[in-house]
Amino acid sequence: MSVETPSDDWLLRVEDLSVHFHTPRGVVQAVDHITFEVRPKETLALVGETGCGKSVTARSIMKLVPEPPGEYASGSILLRSPSTGAVIDMLTAPMDQVRATRGDRIAMIFQDPGKALNPSLTIGRQLAEVFGEHRARMLLTQAGIDPDHAPVGSGAIASQRAGVIRRNFFHLTHPGQSRALRAAVDDAVINALSDTGIPNPRKVMSSYPHELSGGMKQRVMIAQALACDPDLLIADEPTTALDVTIQARILDLINDLQQRRGTAILYITHDLSLVRQFADRLAVMYAGRMVESGPALEVLKAPQHPYTQGLLAAIPRAGTPRGQLAAIAGSVPQLVDPPPQCHFSSRCGWSAEVCTTHVPHLIGLPGERKVACLRFEQASSIGVEEAEMPLRAAHVEVGP
Amino acid sequence: MTSAPTSSPAGQTGKTTLRTRASSVRWARRREVLREVMRNPLTVVGFVIIALFLLMALMAPLLTEANQPDPYQSPRDWGNIDVPPGVEGHVLGTDSTGGDVLYGIIWGSRLSLQLSLTVVISTLVIGTIVGSVAAMRGGRVDNFLMRVVDVFLAIPELIFALAIAAVLGPSFRNIILALAVVFWVKYARIIRGEIIRVKQTDYVAAAHVVGDSNWNIYRKDVLPNAVTPLVVQATLDMGNVVLIGAALSYIGLAQAGLTEWGAMVSAGQSGILAGQWWVSTFAGVAILLWALAFNLVGDGLRDALDPKTEGR
Repeated sequence: MSVETPSDDWLLRVEDLSVHFHTPRGVVQAVDHITFEVRPKETLALVGETGCGKSVTARSIMKLVPEPPGEYASGSILLRSPSTGAVIDMLTAPMDQVRATRGDRIAMIFQDPGKALNPSLTIGRQLAEVFGEHRARMLLTQAGIDPDHAPVGSGAIASQRAGVIRRNFFHLTHPGQSRALRAAVDDAVINALSDTGIPNPRKVMSSYPHELSGGMKQRVMIAQALACDPDLLIADEPTTALDVTIQARILDLINDLQQRRGTAILYITHDLSLVRQFADRLAVMYAGRMVESGPALEVLKAPQHPYTQGLLAAIPRAGTPRGQLAAIAGSVPQLVDPPPQCHFSSRCGWSAEVCTTHVPHLIGLPGERKVACLRFEQASSIGVEEAEMPLRAAHVEVGP
Repeated sequence: MTSAPTSSPAGQTGKTTLRTRASSVRWARRREVLREVMRNPLTVVGFVIIALFLLMALMAPLLTEANQPDPYQSPRDWGNIDVPPGVEGHVLGTDSTGGDVLYGIIWGSRLSLQLSLTVVISTLVIGTIVGSVAAMRGGRVDNFLMRVVDVFLAIPELIFALAIAAVLGPSFRNIILALAVVFWVKYARIIRGEIIRVKQTDYVAAAHVVGDSNWNIYRKDVLPNAVTPLVVQATLDMGNVVLIGAALSYIGLAQAGLTEWGAMVSAGQSGILAGQWWVSTFAGVAILLWALAFNLVGDGLRDALDPKTEGR
């Protein structure tokens, strides 16, 4: 049944993941047995409409789904260290290991930077938190303090856990080291900020989030996410809340940082035009299931799943006549205790009897592509090329 | 605020300036809130009244000669019973036992301050702890604690406090205790709601994402962003507590002859029909001004801290 061919070169493997939410109306199967992998340094775009489970998938990787009402019903989320090859499963690892991984090896940027920064802390303090959490020893070393023989209090200050009293007490007893420690923290923060092209990082550092513009806040978020040089960056629609003019610059920035640092990116979006520009591979989700995946350009050029085709056809183009925007008929089915069927069958122009009684699984196609469609499964016995399915009739021409 | 010296490289001097600047930004923000509060003239009136009361309480031993052994009992001038205001030595008159009304009001302000501060601070701490535990733990713990809160909220404040104080026996300390038992529930409920709201924000998720611990997130991200309504409620309660405390001592739950404003209203009541209006009136005015002042300031704070009006 598992058609995912495990390659040797992977960073993150999500295997057979199911996430359920227990609600008064029943069990919502937000994510239903999905499998995918992210390779080092690549950009994988996870595409789907609102409510298809892509954000839940992203949060699951961080183990951020609240339990209850959420529940990881099945599967594993494996993260491999590119240097040592050690693998941890985020879902079963002890909590302190999960926390050590978050922010250090996997980072995340959110949709709305205005809401993702604590309004009552300065930017500098918030960034210092990240360094304190994961790089306290580095800060101590930079301040000229031996981390193994650090004076009482300096460890807590470096990890940003010390309160006003402890900080000032240490400053009185060890004025030189206290100043050096502050300077080390400031340096780390300023470096992180200036790396994202923020002008005048010293000023930004002592600002509160409400004093910055949206684009600036997203840069701060990116600086925070990349502070510890993570292996994987999860970008949950990072530009949706921004002006169109700033969107491109933020995406260029992410792209540029990826080139320089070799970070893999899991890019969650519903904007297919951005996928074409930035993604290496593409995975399409519908109603909690993965329906199609493969190299981004090929999937966009010749989508195989009826849903992907509909999605691409729905993008308005310059040539689209006025008043003729395409849409996929019907709406996403409710996922409360759903029957075993293809969730797209009710909206699909080519659904057959079998689509309402069976669950489709991803099947492999040539060129590392996969599609989850029962009509393909039927056809696979006679070969896809000969299957001349009605799908072909709806083949969409997509620009370069 | 001048910008940090950009010309000097990352040297030691630059760092120090930066520190000072960061703290000056924090102070600038506090000044901003204060300016917002002070924009409303009624709030300023409230602040002035509170300042006068504080001054009065602080300087009580200087304004009047403290009665020995207990300064919270008016000195008895048996030769001047029921004298009206304006008589030599008794600016606001005396009551039917020769107690000086002005003395009572001055020393009563100390009792009011003691009452309101003790009750508000202790209930603020208890309420915050209970509400935080409920909100952070959730599930059964939350359910249990909130049902306890519901039981407390189901009984009217005054009646509940009255019942407790009556059981404990008449003394000022028992009034404080009774009010503390009654007032914490409101804070628990408010802070729980606020924490649940803040917990769902992206910045708390973002704090989890960078690997912060739950306690750190509570301390740095959740609590500071949840306390605002609590501050407003506590300010309003500084007045309310004195109001209810006065009601309790009015019906005789404080020691007899105490210079508590409610007790003074009660003591002067019998004389009102005989034309001796001054005892109850001045003590009543003191209660009124106290409650009014804190309500004005509380309202002003609410307006200034309300996020919807921020950045006007």
